[in-house]
Amino acid sequence: MKKVVTTIVVLLIAALMAWGFIENAKHHKGEASHEVNAKEIIFEHLGDAYGWEVPFNHSRRIPLPIIVRGNDGAWHAFLSSRVTGGETYEGFRIAVEGAHKGKVVQDDGTPDGYRPWDFSITKNVAGILIAALLVVLMMFSVRNWYRRHGMKAPRKGTAFLELIVDFVYTDTIRPIMGREAKKYAPYLLTAFFFILTMNLLGLIVIFPGGANLTGNLAVTMVLALCTFLITNLTGTKHYWKDIFWPDVPVALKCPVPMMPIIEFLGIFTKPLALMVRLFANMLGGHMVVIVLILLTFIFTEKFSLGVGIGTSVVSVALALFMLVLDTLISFIQAYVFTLLSTIFINMAHLHDEKHEEAAQA
Amino acid sequence: MELFQPEFGLVFWMFVAFALLYFILAKYAWPVIIKSMEDRADLIDKGVAYAQEAKSKLDNARAEADKLVAEAQKQQADILRDAAKMKTQIIEEAKEQAAVEARKVTEAAQVSIEQSRKESEHQLRREVGAYALQIAEQVVRERMSDDKAQRELVDKLLNEVENYN
Repeated sequence: MKKVVTTIVVLLIAALMAWGFIENAKHHKGEASHEVNAKEIIFEHLGDAYGWEVPFNHSRRIPLPIIVRGNDGAWHAFLSSRVTGGETYEGFRIAVEGAHKGKVVQDDGTPDGYRPWDFSITKNVAGILIAALLVVLMMFSVRNWYRRHGMKAPRKGTAFLELIVDFVYTDTIRPIMGREAKKYAPYLLTAFFFILTMNLLGLIVIFPGGANLTGNLAVTMVLALCTFLITNLTGTKHYWKDIFWPDVPVALKCPVPMMPIIEFLGIFTKPLALMVRLFANMLGGHMVVIVLILLTFIFTEKFSLGVGIGTSVVSVALALFMLVLDTLISFIQAYVFTLLSTIFINMAHLHDEKHEEAAQA
Repeated sequence: MELFQPEFGLVFWMFVAFALLYFILAKYAWPVIIKSMEDRADLIDKGVAYAQEAKSKLDNARAEADKLVAEAQKQQADILRDAAKMKTQIIEEAKEQAAVEARKVTEAAQVSIEQSRKESEHQLRREVGAYALQIAEQVVRERMSDDKAQRELVDKLLNEVENYN
């Protein structure tokens, strides 16, 4: 039975692929000068958008609200479907080219247009909100299990979520932070599940997935900034002392404060590394998958449909492998971010050992 | 390039979403989840400790029961031995008592036999004496001539009788 289902699914996928091929070939037959612009396609898929693509249709998108503050100080809110076709609505349009290409601009006479304050619910913002909602639903399902079943161990999906919480909290946060674990666990666990959900949603190609969230520098910047703020705002006196007057030979910190400068830069490089690591890992994974799929179209164009079909088998297999690998990377990167945040926060909670003993006595 | 220039709107919404998510989960979800997990871990630890304790108790109880049974068997053997000893002792005592009693009875019988023998001797003597006197009287009555000679003869006869006895 299982074999039959697998065969049917595989055949269905193959048929869909073939159908897509033929449709695509038909679509492009008329335009002789059409060339696959790989770079544009890649960045269109990885970037943000006003509206959410639906499968098998290139022109129709799920409309999302655009919220902008114009140069006159007035707020404007409308659905993205009013401008995604290239129209101008209330003086706003999506720039086709120029400095603000792909963004909403206001006509003000200049060719680039005026870039307003843009608080639009773009595809990425919508993705973030969906991810946040999913995390809330998941965690409340775990919480409600305890409310309903008391001490009984969770089953199925809830058990899996609890397993991950247990892994992150009991095996990572608690051993590192000790008695401070309870205080910072909510932030770290929230960060972990939010990143994990965003990573995994990014791997699903159709709505509600498909938004390249953690592969966007703005998203990882906010996450790293939060860790940076918590680390430095809760840092102890001893932590700051170690930065500006570390325990190294005096020659290294006076008269030229070499170590203090290095330590001070370390404050910023640590969250920066967090930001770039997550961003680059997720972006890289997505990019490889897109390039592998694009190879089919590039080869079809450069050689023939036959070569393209042949390539598709290889590239789909490789893309599938990459997606599986990305699933693993999604977990690893979420975990690495959480682990490093835990370590950074814990490092800022250095206590003078003598002082600590005196406080305990 | 767009990917490397953080868009302000996206940063703003991301921050809002993350902060909201944090506050909701930190208030309603994480404390409950962590506490429940730790409580359950404690419960399981306690259960394991309890089971181990119960097992050791059970083992002890078994050993104790074995000890009790062994003790009881020993006691039983002791009691049986004592009983046997007591039985022989009682029999011995009874035998002894019976012997003593028997001796007493024999002795009493001998004494009474002796007594009755003496009594009968006395009686006999008395009777013999009386007979002798009667005989002597008869004799004396017949031979009243010589009083003195007669009396001597009687004495002599009586002494003879006495010595004869």
